[in-house]
Amino acid sequence: MLKNKFHLLNIFILVGLFVFLSVNTSLAQQNNNALDKIKERGSLIWGADAEGGAPYIFPDPDNPENYIGFEVDLAEAIAKKLGVKALHKQNAWDGLVPALERGDFDIAMNGIEITDDRKEAILFSRPYYVYVEQLVVRKEEDNINDLNDLKGKKVGTLSGTVAQDILQNLGGVDVRIYPGQVQPYEDLAIGRIDAVLLDLPIAAYYGKPNPKLKYAGEPMGEGLYGIAIRQEDEELKVKIDEILAELLRSGELKKIYEKWDLWNEAQDELYEKMQVESGYADLEKSRQAPIYTFFPLLLKGAGITIIISVVSMGLAVTLGLFLTLIRLYGRAPFTYLSTAYIEIYRGTPLLIQLFILYYGLPNIGISLSPWVVAFLGLGMNYAAYEAEIYRAGISAIPKGQMEAALSLGMSRSLAIRRIILPQSLSISLPGITNDFIALFKDSSLVSIIAIVELTKTYNILAASTLRFFELGLITAVLYFGMSYPLSLLARRLENSLKRKKVGV
Amino acid sequence: MITVKDLHKYYNDHYLFKGISLDVKKGEVVAIIGPSGSGKSTFLRCINGLEKFQKGEVIVDGIKLQSINRSNPSKEDLEVIRKIRLKVGMVFQQFNLFPHMTVLENIIEAPVKVLGIDRNEARENALTLLRRINLENKIDSLPEDLSGGEQQRVAIVRALAMKPDVMLFDEPTSSLDPETVGEVLSVIKDLVDRGMTTLIVTHLMQFAREVADRVVVFDKGDIIETGLPDEIFTNPKNERTKSFLSRIINK
Repeated sequence: MLKNKFHLLNIFILVGLFVFLSVNTSLAQQNNNALDKIKERGSLIWGADAEGGAPYIFPDPDNPENYIGFEVDLAEAIAKKLGVKALHKQNAWDGLVPALERGDFDIAMNGIEITDDRKEAILFSRPYYVYVEQLVVRKEEDNINDLNDLKGKKVGTLSGTVAQDILQNLGGVDVRIYPGQVQPYEDLAIGRIDAVLLDLPIAAYYGKPNPKLKYAGEPMGEGLYGIAIRQEDEELKVKIDEILAELLRSGELKKIYEKWDLWNEAQDELYEKMQVESGYADLEKSRQAPIYTFFPLLLKGAGITIIISVVSMGLAVTLGLFLTLIRLYGRAPFTYLSTAYIEIYRGTPLLIQLFILYYGLPNIGISLSPWVVAFLGLGMNYAAYEAEIYRAGISAIPKGQMEAALSLGMSRSLAIRRIILPQSLSISLPGITNDFIALFKDSSLVSIIAIVELTKTYNILAASTLRFFELGLITAVLYFGMSYPLSLLARRLENSLKRKKVGV
Repeated sequence: MITVKDLHKYYNDHYLFKGISLDVKKGEVVAIIGPSGSGKSTFLRCINGLEKFQKGEVIVDGIKLQSINRSNPSKEDLEVIRKIRLKVGMVFQQFNLFPHMTVLENIIEAPVKVLGIDRNEARENALTLLRRINLENKIDSLPEDLSGGEQQRVAIVRALAMKPDVMLFDEPTSSLDPETVGEVLSVIKDLVDRGMTTLIVTHLMQFAREVADRVVVFDKGDIIETGLPDEIFTNPKNERTKSFLSRIINK
């Protein structure tokens, strides 16, 4: 009878595993849609406003049916890497994002600034250009040299841009919003407005060459252009990011910008942003990558987990002993304080404690680094538990031990130190090592306060490679590999303590 | 040597001692007998401060210990108790050897850590004492490797290592197998013969009769009778003493 039940259980487990695996892999395949569609179609459709869109995208003066511009070049470069052609689709600047969401094109690329508001609606590729704002005024203008001089003046800008936000936030500025980027400069030249604030590429094309206009002040502010992608097209984003990174690395991107006189020092930032991400494998590559390519990163995460766990446990073990000794042998107000500490820390979630330390304390002026928060949070929390384990060990020691020690003339503290504690430690040890092993796993919580330990590393890798199962298995093995030796060590310690010899 | 004056002790509303007194001269051996629960052990433990008392005085070799507020003794009180404990050695029914230390370590721990005696000197003293009880070969053994009788003898030596002026024995043989009782008793007898002031709480009437200079009879927290061993054992005056003895001796 029992044998049959076992059999059934085994079958259930196998079926479950099979279903789980197939669901997992099929989920991974769903995201192929956008990229696959593009490849099937043979073209990357990109949306941009060509009307007055130099140097982004605008009609070739020599051949107006053709569009040129640095974004045209970029779109073509990206499409080439995808193995397809670039097809531009005209759309008004204002409506680019809604049109993208509707599905009118695969991506939108038109000097779209990466802002938090936009991020709520769409995905952005990695930045492809660092823009700055440049103020332009009439040649004879002497009163306007920077933003502060704009109070009470009429200033033109393009709608829906960061420049618009800047002007509006200044306060006291008569902001004139234009649907396109050519008109503001025309109006400025005629005298309808006093100044124009727009991104440098625009200022460079429409402001500078105009003999009636000139730059006012240095470029200010810094922002990033990103390619807009629908939120569900994550794989497309990853692919485009990869391509942009390649273009950056190979120098192709720089060439495009130099052609349009747009390259400047600020673009170095694009390289910096690359540094951060170069450790992570790109999606395509990572699909085929042998699993050991992720080992270095996971091992690094494991190393951080070890450091956090060991240091926190050190704090917990020390503080816990202190708490117990105060509680058992201390004087009136302190014994209550110790008990209160233990109850509060045991009675509230570790997660909340970390949140309060990290996000709450700054409200009263104490700003701790993530590492300090990790050590304190884990250490102080676990100290409460260790305190109780110590107490259990101490109360397990027969009363006669303390009495004998006292009778011999020992002070209480000497008796505790030499007679009680050493004996209680061999009782407490299993509990403490148990907690240590648990702490290793609890350390994963510090990923919420910006520390990239093993679990966070797993999350990041799995999200970008979609290999949740394999990576998960390896991560679990790593955790086990950190915990099990601890168990063995603990057992050895217990055995050697059992011999009950105190070093003389 | 020891003077107990008008000792009062109660627990919440429950009275243990309602004013008992006792005098012990230097070199005297006093046996304390009586039914279980009569307060013999508690009385003994009041002398070296293991039990607190609410009223009365305990004077050991001139050091005066008055009643102590239980939960928060003052520094002076603790000093007095400490001084008394250096003069008074105690041997427990449960031996109470330190299980994580060897015999040697048990014996020299207090002399070295409390009296500041040089470790080697303490070791020599320990050896001397152990030789006297024929246990020097066990000097590096752990308590768990010793028999009950051996452990108690080591416990006695441990107390002696502090060179006390008084030794208190709280039912030292009650936890021992009958075979090993004898070896412990002979150690105590040896000690007594060397002139140690001794208070011993015991159920062994024969032994009490043999070693005691005086016998004190306890019952229900009161000293009901004191006298020479022969008087007490052959001709007790108190009715309760009589009934107690008849229960014990007619076994």
